[in-house]
Amino acid sequence: MLTIKILGSGCPNCKKVEAVARQAASGLGLEADFVKVTDYGKILEYPILSTPGLVINENVVCSGRIPTQAEVTTWLADALG
Amino acid sequence: MDLIGGLVDLLQGGLGNLAAYLAAHVLLCLVPAFFIAGGLAALIPKESVTRFLGRKAPRYVSYPAAALAGSVLAVCSCTIVPLFAGIYKKGAGIGPAITFLFFAPAANILALAYTGVAIGVDLAFARLFLSLAFGVGIGMIMALIFRRADAEHDRQTDDLFAGRGGVRRGVVIFLLVLVALLLSGTLKIGLLTNTYGQVSLPIAGVQGLEEALFRLVPYDSSRGEEGVTAQGAVLIVLLALIGLSAWRGFENVLEGFNRWTGMTLALITSTLLVAALGMEPGAGGLTIRFPGKFFAVTLALIVLAWLARTRLTEHERRDWLWESWRFVKQIFPLLLIGVFFVGVLRQLIRPEWIESLAGRNTLLGNLAGVAFGVFMYFPTLVEVPIANMFLGLGMHRGPLLAYLMADPELSLQSILLVSAIIGRMKAWTYVAWVALFSTAAGLIFGSWVDGAGLGRIAAYLAGFLGVLALGLSIAGRRGGERPQPASQPVTDT
Repeated sequence: MLTIKILGSGCPNCKKVEAVARQAASGLGLEADFVKVTDYGKILEYPILSTPGLVINENVVCSGRIPTQAEVTTWLADALG
Repeated sequence: MDLIGGLVDLLQGGLGNLAAYLAAHVLLCLVPAFFIAGGLAALIPKESVTRFLGRKAPRYVSYPAAALAGSVLAVCSCTIVPLFAGIYKKGAGIGPAITFLFFAPAANILALAYTGVAIGVDLAFARLFLSLAFGVGIGMIMALIFRRADAEHDRQTDDLFAGRGGVRRGVVIFLLVLVALLLSGTLKIGLLTNTYGQVSLPIAGVQGLEEALFRLVPYDSSRGEEGVTAQGAVLIVLLALIGLSAWRGFENVLEGFNRWTGMTLALITSTLLVAALGMEPGAGGLTIRFPGKFFAVTLALIVLAWLARTRLTEHERRDWLWESWRFVKQIFPLLLIGVFFVGVLRQLIRPEWIESLAGRNTLLGNLAGVAFGVFMYFPTLVEVPIANMFLGLGMHRGPLLAYLMADPELSLQSILLVSAIIGRMKAWTYVAWVALFSTAAGLIFGSWVDGAGLGRIAAYLAGFLGVLALGLSIAGRRGGERPQPASQPVTDT
């Protein structure tokens, strides 16, 4: 099972990223564990320079922007190997 | 004192201030400024700036790049905190990180445009140049003081800053035209403010409407207050309509354009055009003047529409509108509330208090401005109407600048956040330096406003720079102890 983390303090963009990621996951028929990371101390442990960040299985795939659903679908498929 | 009457007065003051701000200042400057901020956030890849902030970047590259990052990338705290921590822990070190932190709130496009229109272009420029000089100065001082702690970070690699990204020429032109739109609506030069034609419309009752508005929102121009004109009333109605339709048109713009998006854009366009017109109600009807800026704004809007259609991709257009709308949602409501309370406050503060404390350009006056800035926390941009209120109440421009320099940089909230990342000792050292520099900025700018000779200002500046240079040279001599990052084997991955 995949773990998908959304890094961000809860600003509107983080919510968009989560929505996009959920749509992509359900588009693939995946079961994924969604975790929201809002604590700056924890966020800064990941190598990102701006939020929102998207982390799939502890790999940062995207930060500082809102990815499209197609992009997230590709990343999810890659993570499944 | 009649309590109810007093409350009504306060409420009226708040609403009056709000209406006057919405109608007069905000539109031609803030509307384009929000779109520029959105464009910067959506269209400029962060890597295009952050790649100059890596561990190995030389000082003359990393400091200016940090300032650039502050003004271009960081309109909201989503970017400021992670980028600050990233530069500090994994990138160019504490100096550029502090420069970035200092420069970001004072010199982003929203703050500068708003200051220029609401208070004066002189203060906007003073804010920009002094923030730049002080941001770099304080950054270098912090890097000196905490040289040893900083050196520990040097051993880490800077993969985080290795990403590359360019900005397309089409995007640059698009952003420049947006800036031109902002300037053509707000610059006060003859070419733009002269009238090049007028028509009279036989609409009766506009004058009566305006008089009714003045009665509804009474104002006292001697206290720096402004009334609401008939044109202002039209603009407020248009703004409310934009707010309503943007909720349907921009909220879901990432999923694609819809009919509401088009309508919102049309409403924004007409708002800008109406705001650029001159309207004078008379006994016979309404006279509409066409000043130069009306034509300039029209031209800029046409070019923008064409550029957005041909040079931006569908995805970029959506991102741009979404980011702009996000800034509006994030900042505008707090700004409205802030402006309202400034209006209330203005009824309560006696001009004599401000006059006696900071009416002249004294050390005490400047210190008072800084202290107020540190201990008061206002949401983004609200410092501007506050400053304008102080100006109306008789504050000298020197202490006013000191306040404007200190307020956005320092608040208890930001101090706590920063100390969580760099430690309490460093955070309070930073605060002390900002307070010192802001006071100096206020004094120097104030004496320039008072018409002091260039010699005296040059002497101030020279003294200031001399102290800085002395400190740097002492540290440079001791710099040999610093471990060389280049001697570390660096693996390229």
